[in-house]
Amino acid sequence: MSFTEWIFLLGGLAVAGPVIAHLLAKPRFRRLPFTMLRFLRTGQAESRSRRKLRDLLILLIRCAIIVLIAMLFSRPLLHIRLKPSESRSVHCLGLDNSMSMAYSDGSGSYFDKLKDAAIDYIRSAQDDALFNICALASGDWMQGLGKEQALVEVKALKVEPGGANVADFLSGLSRANRSEHLSDNVSVLVLSDFTPNTLGQFINVAEPAAVNMIDYEPIVSSEPVNNAAIAGAHIVGLADGKLTINAAVVNYGQVRQNRRLTAKTGANKSAPIDINLSSNQRNIFQVQLDVGAAGRKPSVLPVELSLSDGDGLSGDDTFYLAVSIPGHEDINVLLAGEGDNRMFLLKTAIDTLSRTSSYDALRIKQVPMSELADSDLDWADVIVCSAITDRLGDLASNIESFVKAGGRFVCFVAEALAPVATKQLWQRDILAALPGKCISERTYIQPKPTDSHASGVDHIAARSLSNYRIDKVLLNGCLECEPHPDARLLWRLQNGFGLVYLKSLGSGTSILVNTSVDDSLGSLTKSNASVAFCRYLLGESHQIDEYCFTRGERIVLPMPGRADAFAGQEQVWVETCDGANRRAVVADSSLLVPDPAGIGWVKTLGKPTIYAGVNLPQGETDMTKPVAAELAGVMNRVFATGAESDVSEAGVFRDKKNRPLWKIFAWALILLLLAEPAVANRLKR
Amino acid sequence: MRQNRKYLDPVFLSKLGNMDLVARCAVEGFFAGLHPSPFHGFSVEYSDHREYHAGDELKFVDWKVFGRSDKLYIKQFQQETNTTAYILLDCSKSMSFAGEGAVSKMDYGSYLAAALSYLMLSQSDSTALILFAERVIKHIPPRSRRTHLNIILTALQYNRPEGQTNLAGVLHTIAETTKRRGIIILISDLLDDEADIFQGLAHLKFLKHDVIVFHTMDHQELNLDYEGLIQFEDLETKARMRAFPQSLREGYRKRVSEFLDNIKKTTGNSGIDYCLLDTSEPLDRALVAYLAKRKRMM
Repeated sequence: MSFTEWIFLLGGLAVAGPVIAHLLAKPRFRRLPFTMLRFLRTGQAESRSRRKLRDLLILLIRCAIIVLIAMLFSRPLLHIRLKPSESRSVHCLGLDNSMSMAYSDGSGSYFDKLKDAAIDYIRSAQDDALFNICALASGDWMQGLGKEQALVEVKALKVEPGGANVADFLSGLSRANRSEHLSDNVSVLVLSDFTPNTLGQFINVAEPAAVNMIDYEPIVSSEPVNNAAIAGAHIVGLADGKLTINAAVVNYGQVRQNRRLTAKTGANKSAPIDINLSSNQRNIFQVQLDVGAAGRKPSVLPVELSLSDGDGLSGDDTFYLAVSIPGHEDINVLLAGEGDNRMFLLKTAIDTLSRTSSYDALRIKQVPMSELADSDLDWADVIVCSAITDRLGDLASNIESFVKAGGRFVCFVAEALAPVATKQLWQRDILAALPGKCISERTYIQPKPTDSHASGVDHIAARSLSNYRIDKVLLNGCLECEPHPDARLLWRLQNGFGLVYLKSLGSGTSILVNTSVDDSLGSLTKSNASVAFCRYLLGESHQIDEYCFTRGERIVLPMPGRADAFAGQEQVWVETCDGANRRAVVADSSLLVPDPAGIGWVKTLGKPTIYAGVNLPQGETDMTKPVAAELAGVMNRVFATGAESDVSEAGVFRDKKNRPLWKIFAWALILLLLAEPAVANRLKR
Repeated sequence: MRQNRKYLDPVFLSKLGNMDLVARCAVEGFFAGLHPSPFHGFSVEYSDHREYHAGDELKFVDWKVFGRSDKLYIKQFQQETNTTAYILLDCSKSMSFAGEGAVSKMDYGSYLAAALSYLMLSQSDSTALILFAERVIKHIPPRSRRTHLNIILTALQYNRPEGQTNLAGVLHTIAETTKRRGIIILISDLLDDEADIFQGLAHLKFLKHDVIVFHTMDHQELNLDYEGLIQFEDLETKARMRAFPQSLREGYRKRVSEFLDNIKKTTGNSGIDYCLLDTSEPLDRALVAYLAKRKRMM
């Protein structure tokens, strides 16, 4: 037996404590007058001997507890010397069944070659050898297999649509090494195409694994690699019922690629475009897909991009991309200012926004504040007022109805306030804050919103606004505002006063911006952040979203506008890539989908149908052949063999087997701790 | 009843301090707590009427009253002096023992002696008090006057435990010096040689005395409920003994039980009334025992 941390054995010297205490301690007797001593005398001798026995037993138990604690901390190991006849060969096979192994050249597929090599290896092993086989793509271990079982398992292996997971293989190998059933002769065989993706994982391994022998074989083609893949795709926009998609296509091989790229959704197909890629070239190609009427109503379209046949690996020629189309919606924006010039910059910014918006159509109408009429309120979805004037007071009840009906009322406040109108709007709970006295203090805006998750504002727009360095915009002053009890302060100035207040009223929203159009807002609208600021004020925009994930990534489907459809449900059935039906968890406005097990489509069963595309990780089918010297260096570093190993685990494979004893010591300690009070109490009686 | 029983609680009585008050509280409390009982008094001189209750002897029914009012009334009588009671109170050092939170055996015995004296003198019995340890320390001769109570109570009040027990010798002395037959009431812990004690009691019984033994014991003496390591010191002999009471308890209780059984058996065989009193219990058991004895004499 040896101790890994022998220094803790010194703690065993603490046993001297109870021994000395036992020797020095004298029992303290309480003096007590009594009368019936003659009845006590008979039992006295027995009592004394019992007490001595108890003291001795308790002393022994306490000493044992201290010694056991010290030994437990010292991590004892029991060395078991095995006879040579008892040692067995254990072979750990790491077989790469990732998607790249499906590549096929004229002489057959990589994976067939891998299986042939593995079968030959198993057949050449001793009859009593044990096999632990790990499929690198899934990370699953099959352990303790006999020769015949191993052959059956290898033959049953299939390529999985995903990348190799080296970390799982190595951690499983370490666990197997620590297992008490593992004998002393461990050989590891790794069969893989060692694509850059896989090799990169080996390179990043920090701690080597101790083995007796390491063998590896790169399964590569002797011919030039012929493989192209769609590495990614993104939606550019939707216009006139046509979806424009950018697809990144990569030639991962040395053979020039002349292929055709097609996009399709349902029965609609794009016109195929011819693509040409030279060796190892990456290019982006734009395809247009006519989605017809589907583009006019809110829906999720599954879009499949594919390359025509013509390379050695077809699994990476298809790309799955789900597109969320919000539907066509016009937004009428009414700009009410005291003069045309006052709203000029704001109108320019909203104009720009309407042009850059990929989907929404913003229709802008500008009226002088004094001419603002009921009919304008009926037309508008959003009203932006440059100041609070008496006219707004006259229309207070109409504005209240407008907001309660779902309208959006944005009001800038300037130093010159109409007090009666302000009071009327405040009394009708329209204003999000009550403007007070003017603070003539130059100040900057805080870089990030105070409340980034408030409903009624576009969170993406808020983030975008931060990116435009809004904190660099200097404002010439502000008003001291008293927020409404139901209002939320969305954005703050650096001097502590509020910039944007928001309040919900009925189904609509009222926003108060604590600045003036012609002064401080002028600075704001002249800055680069002007368009983003308008987008922020106008609320959630309707834009196209993409639901596209890579294999192994956690799939979370957002449900904008569809949360009501799943209200009251905790779980939703979804169909995953392998065709199986699984339960997805509804959390807030998201749908958490379990591991889809493959690439392809994930979709909700029932209405509304939400799709998500699951694709191969980028670079998984990069078939660049490994450099032999680099591969040898990496493998020798990752797998430390025999006497050359400088890691402690290497000791496992010598002529002795070390068995950790901490569990035995821990149990003994627990038993003694339980026994100590029991013995003490028993002997007292 | 429960309210009245507090006046019989020795711990309560120990707080009163004045022995006269102790005696009155104990006796009045005792009678107040009783149901209409046969223990009211033993006399031929008319005292009072009270309503008849089931269990009352018919010989005490006042038939004249029944004839006039058609209701049953019992006649009650003032007691007459016709007996002498000798109260023997052990004052040895062992009687000073008091368990935790309890009164000492000496105090308990004194309260009992006071209560009995009060009771007897109120019924005009002649009452004597003899305090003893190795020998008779104080002898107050029997008298039936009410003022005699003061003498007895004063003696009890200022009495202090001292010396070792020589119960057998004292009993022989009493037997030889007591000329008139009466009730001998012995209040003691009986911590002496058992055979000698029985001889002394037999001597008294031989002289036709009615003997009641009130064996006062502390709760701890009966049960040995102490915990931890204890050095016991004998109150009379000053002998010391270290022990671990938990381990001795079982044997101790067994031996004490044998000792008590032996006393009970021997006294029972001799026609002596024996009453074991735990000092943690109220005094009424002792008073009932006395009144039962007195009733049998009537």
